[in-house]
Amino acid sequence: MTHDPRKLLLAITGIAFAVVLMFQQRGFNHALFDSTVAVVQELDADLILYNPSRFALSSEVRFKRDALDVAASTAGVESARPLYLENLFARMRVEGRRARPIRVLGVDLDQNVLLDGDGEILPQFDSLRSPHTALMDRLSKKNYGIELSATAMPQTAELTGKRIDIVGLFQSGRDFAHDGNLIMSLSNFSNYFGYRAADPLSVVDLGVVKVAANQPADSVAIELQEKLGEGVVVLTKQQFVQKEIDFWARNTPIGVIFAIGAVMGFVVGVIICYQILANDITEHLGEFATLKAMGYGNSYFFGLVIKQAVYLSLLGFLPGLICAWLLFRINVSFTGLLMQLSWDRVLFIFALTLVMCVVSGLLALRKLLAADPASLF
Amino acid sequence: MIQHDIDIDGLIAAWAPDPSELSVNVDQVSHYYGEGDTRKQVLFQNELKIRRGEIVIMTGPSGSGKTTLLTLVGTLRSVQEGSLKVLDTELNGISPADTTMLRKKTGFIFQAHNLFESLTAFQNVKMSTELLGYKSADIKPKIEATLSRLGLGERIHYKPKSLSGGQKQRVAIARGIIHQPDLILADEPTAALDAESGREVVTIFQEMAQQHGCTILIVTHDNRILDVADRIVSMVDGNIRSSVLVKWNSAMCQILNEFQIFRSLTPQSISQVADMMELKKYQPGDEIVSQGEMGDEFFVIGKGAVDIEVDDKKVNTLEEGAFFGEVSLIKEQPRNATVRAKTEVACFVLSKEEFQSVIDSSTTFEEELRKAIFSRQ
Repeated sequence: MTHDPRKLLLAITGIAFAVVLMFQQRGFNHALFDSTVAVVQELDADLILYNPSRFALSSEVRFKRDALDVAASTAGVESARPLYLENLFARMRVEGRRARPIRVLGVDLDQNVLLDGDGEILPQFDSLRSPHTALMDRLSKKNYGIELSATAMPQTAELTGKRIDIVGLFQSGRDFAHDGNLIMSLSNFSNYFGYRAADPLSVVDLGVVKVAANQPADSVAIELQEKLGEGVVVLTKQQFVQKEIDFWARNTPIGVIFAIGAVMGFVVGVIICYQILANDITEHLGEFATLKAMGYGNSYFFGLVIKQAVYLSLLGFLPGLICAWLLFRINVSFTGLLMQLSWDRVLFIFALTLVMCVVSGLLALRKLLAADPASLF
Repeated sequence: MIQHDIDIDGLIAAWAPDPSELSVNVDQVSHYYGEGDTRKQVLFQNELKIRRGEIVIMTGPSGSGKTTLLTLVGTLRSVQEGSLKVLDTELNGISPADTTMLRKKTGFIFQAHNLFESLTAFQNVKMSTELLGYKSADIKPKIEATLSRLGLGERIHYKPKSLSGGQKQRVAIARGIIHQPDLILADEPTAALDAESGREVVTIFQEMAQQHGCTILIVTHDNRILDVADRIVSMVDGNIRSSVLVKWNSAMCQILNEFQIFRSLTPQSISQVADMMELKKYQPGDEIVSQGEMGDEFFVIGKGAVDIEVDDKKVNTLEEGAFFGEVSLIKEQPRNATVRAKTEVACFVLSKEEFQSVIDSSTTFEEELRKAIFSRQ
C-alpha cells in the first residue's frame, strides 16, 4: 500500500473521518455532562450539601440556611458557605427583546465560594458591591441582546422587571437547561428574588463546605451527614458531580443518543477500514498466496495485518485528532457547550480507533486465512 | 540367451520401491471443483508413486488435471478423497502446522511467476529463505551465484517490472530452489525460456535430484526437456493414462528387440508392449510354471537361476538373460515342462492377454508413418 500514495491518502482520510465522527459524538456527550456540572466544578468545595429532593442541579428545591451553621460548627469543617441559584423565575430582558430565563448565581462577596481559576472574577467583585449590578457569562446565548465583549461594558437590561447593569464578564458555559449565567452579590440577589422566602437568603441551594486541612473529606462527610439528619444530603464534590452526570446519563435519553452516535462512528470506521484493507488484500492476493505456498503461516499474515492496522490507525488518528480539535473550537463558539479534549478522552478514542482498524483487519483477513493458496492465483 | 547392458538391480529397485523410499504416494485420489449442481469431478482415483530423487514430467492436454494434482501434492489445495502422502506426511486431513512445515520443504515454481513487485530479484529469492532461519550473510553468496547461473548476474537488484518475462521466470525458479527443498513442484517452468536457459534450468534440477535427493515434479508441454525425466506421466481427462518409468521402458524395449516376434512391431508398439512387462519375484523352490497347465505368460530371467523339470526330472538349468514360454504368446498349448526357482529369481513377465491387446490396438506401420510425418515440425 505504501507504494501507492493515492490509496494511502484515501485510507488515511477514511480513518480520519471515522475518528472525527467518534470524537464529535463523544465530545457532545462529554460536553453535555461537563457543561452541566461546570458550575459545581467552579466551586471551591470539598463537600456539597443539598436537599435530597433536588434530583438535578436545575430543580429548585432548597434547604434552610440553619443547616450551614450546624455544619460550620462540626469538627473537621473549616467553612460552610451558601451558594444561591435562580433560574426558572429569573428572566432577563433587553429593551426591544423578549424576556428570557437566565441562571443567576448569588455569592457572598466577602466569603468567596468560587475557585476562579482564570483569576477573572475576583478582581471584579468590587464592582458588584453597587446595587443592581451583575457579571455575565460571555458564553451566554447571543439572543439575550447583550453584546458580550469587555469593551461594550457596562450595559443595561432588565431582570425580573427591575433594572440591572452588566458590569463585567466571566466564563462558564451554557448547557441544555441554561442559556446563560449571571453572578451577583447576596444583597442584589435578595433584592431581585424576594419571592424566595421572607428572608430570601434563608433558603440555600447548595452548601459549599471546606474541610480542615489534613481531614479526610469522606469521614467528615459521614459525620456531617449524621449531624444534619435527613433534611440535607452530604456528598463529596466528586460524588455530587457524578450524581449529576448519572442523572443526565440514566434518566434522560441523551446519554444513549450520543452512545449510539459514537457506536455509529465506530461502525462506519470499521466499514471504511475494512473496505480499504480488504481491497488491499484482494489486490495482492497472488502475492499472499505465494507467501502461503512458501510456508508462511497464518500467524505471519495475522501479524502483518495487525501491523498495517496499527500504522493505519496512527496515520489516520493524527489528522482526525487535529480536525476534531478544530471542530471542537468551532462548536464551542457556536453552542457555548464545553467541548474539552482531555488526555484520557483522546486516548480512549485512539484505543477505539486501534480496535476499529484491527477488527476490520481481521475481518478482511478471514478469507485469506481460510483459502487454499491454489484458489487464490 | 539375451545380451544386454541393463542395470538389473537398479531396475528391480525402481520397479517396486520400498514405501520408505517414496517421496510422493498418490493413492486413489479424486478431486472435485464447485459445489452442488456445478460440482465437477476433475481427478478420478489416481495412483502415482514417486521415489526420492526422481524427476517426473507430467504431460497431457490442458484441463486434464495436471496442475490440480500438482497443487494437491504441494498442499496448496486440500485433499478431498483418497490418500496422498508427501514426504511421509498424509495430506488428507492434515493440520495447519504440518501444512506450513511441508510448504517450507517444498519449492514451488508457478506458471504465473507471482513475484513481489515491490522487491528486487534478490529480495524475491531471499523471501523463501527467511522462514527457514538462514542468516542473511550466509545465504547472500548462494542467491547471487544461483541468479548468475541463471543468467541474471547483471540484474540481481532489478525489480520485476524492469525484467523480461523470461527473466522473471528465472527469478521465480531461483526462488523455488534456493532453500534446498526436498520436493520441487514446477508448473511449466521452461515455457517462457529460450533453449539455452531452459537447458540450464533442467541441469540444475538434475543436480538437485542427484546430489540432494530432491524429488522433482514438473508439469510441462515442453518436449525439449523430456530427456531429464525418470518417469513420464501422461494425464487425460483427470486420469493418469500412463506412468512410464523411462529406464524400465527402455530396458524392456532392449530385451524385446532381441526376439523375432517383436521385430515386426513399430517402435511405438514395442514401447507399449514394454509398458506391459511386469516384474515378478520368486523364492528358491517356487514353481514358476507347471508342466501340463495352459501357458499364457512369457518370461525373461532378470536375475537368479531356474531349474527345468520334465516329469519331475531336472533336465536343464537356465540363468540370467535366458527366457522361456515365448511360444505361449502365439499358440495355445500346455506347458511341456515345469520351471522351478533355484535361487531367488526376478523375472520380466509379459502376459499373452496384454500382449494381444497391444497388437490388436496397434496401428499399421503405414498409419504410424503418416502420423509421424504429420506431426513433424
